[in-house]
Amino acid sequence: MRTANRLATLLLAVALLAGGVLLAVEALLAAAGRPALLTDAGGWAATLGDTRWDDPAVRVSALVLLLVGLAVLAAELRRWSPQRLDAGDGWHLHRRSTERRLAAAAGSVPGVHRARVRVRRRGGHWWPRVVATGDPATRAEVEFAVRQELHRLTAYRPDRVEVRLSRRREA
Amino acid sequence: MSNAAHRVLWTALALLLVAAGGVALALNLGLLPGVEPGDVILGAGLRRAWRLAAPWSALAAAAAGLLAAAGGLWLLRRELRAARGAWHGTLARPGRRGRTRLAAAPLARALERDLTGDPRVRRARVVLTGDPPRPDLWVRVEIAADARTAGLREHVGTAIRRYADTAGCRPAHLDVTARLDAAPGPVHVAASGRIVPRETSWLRPDRRGSRGP
Repeated sequence: MRTANRLATLLLAVALLAGGVLLAVEALLAAAGRPALLTDAGGWAATLGDTRWDDPAVRVSALVLLLVGLAVLAAELRRWSPQRLDAGDGWHLHRRSTERRLAAAAGSVPGVHRARVRVRRRGGHWWPRVVATGDPATRAEVEFAVRQELHRLTAYRPDRVEVRLSRRREA
Repeated sequence: MSNAAHRVLWTALALLLVAAGGVALALNLGLLPGVEPGDVILGAGLRRAWRLAAPWSALAAAAAGLLAAAGGLWLLRRELRAARGAWHGTLARPGRRGRTRLAAAPLARALERDLTGDPRVRRARVVLTGDPPRPDLWVRVEIAADARTAGLREHVGTAIRRYADTAGCRPAHLDVTARLDAAPGPVHVAASGRIVPRETSWLRPDRRGSRGP
């Protein structure tokens, strides 16, 4: 969502800049009594002058605006995953890179084919949740590998490490 | 712009969209008093007022366009500045004749160079804000694969103490974020079945063939 916000802001900035310059130029030309360069303001005014509020196109446009606004609002107001994890004493670990590192640790255990780690949190506590495919008998080793990696990183030591191992489907 | 600023901006824009859509829908359904659903959007009265106010109406539109363009330019510069990572903060202190503001970039760069003196730190970024004698220090380090952060904490602590002694200040607040390079697995299982940490495992003769399928 952070990247989407930045990209959307960049687009908004470019649109504001281009649209603002175009509006200023066209309005100054209109004030000077010169013909417009790119826009047909008279045509737009005529269209809006002929369109009534109860037109179906107005209803569709209003609904689209409302739904897009609600969707953006919901996306902005929901609880986001933290960008970093508290490791104590003013130190923090970047969440994504920590998840990748722990996934690599879990995936290095023999018998594990693919592992994905997501950090879960409640209050001030967080713990890794490993979802992997491989031999279910390696569960203890996967947990050990993840704990060992957290120990190497001298990160906050979680009370638990969730491991979900499912057997790999044979082709 | 910070993530929080982006969030506030898009929340405000979303509220505007919801309000505009809601009002348009209410007008479409005839729920707002004073406007009939059969009325046109741009009435003759509004168009007459626009023509009567000419050329001031067009000049007002030009001013609005310039304001929008200035806003867009400001936003664009903030975004591009953040993307370049050019922000190093400002130290500020109120005095008797106003406020002294000091660009913190040279001080921050010195600390960045000190931090990257350790090969485990691939890149460092420092931002200094607040009062010069008691600045707030925001440090971001990118840690190479296989590096232990235990030693790194000491390295960062030593660099900051060195910086504080040289600059004659005491950091009031320290915030460090470590970003880790992706690494292959940190452990491997030896032939004996014992799990060995990776930083020593490459020295072991039983490493070859110990990995699983």
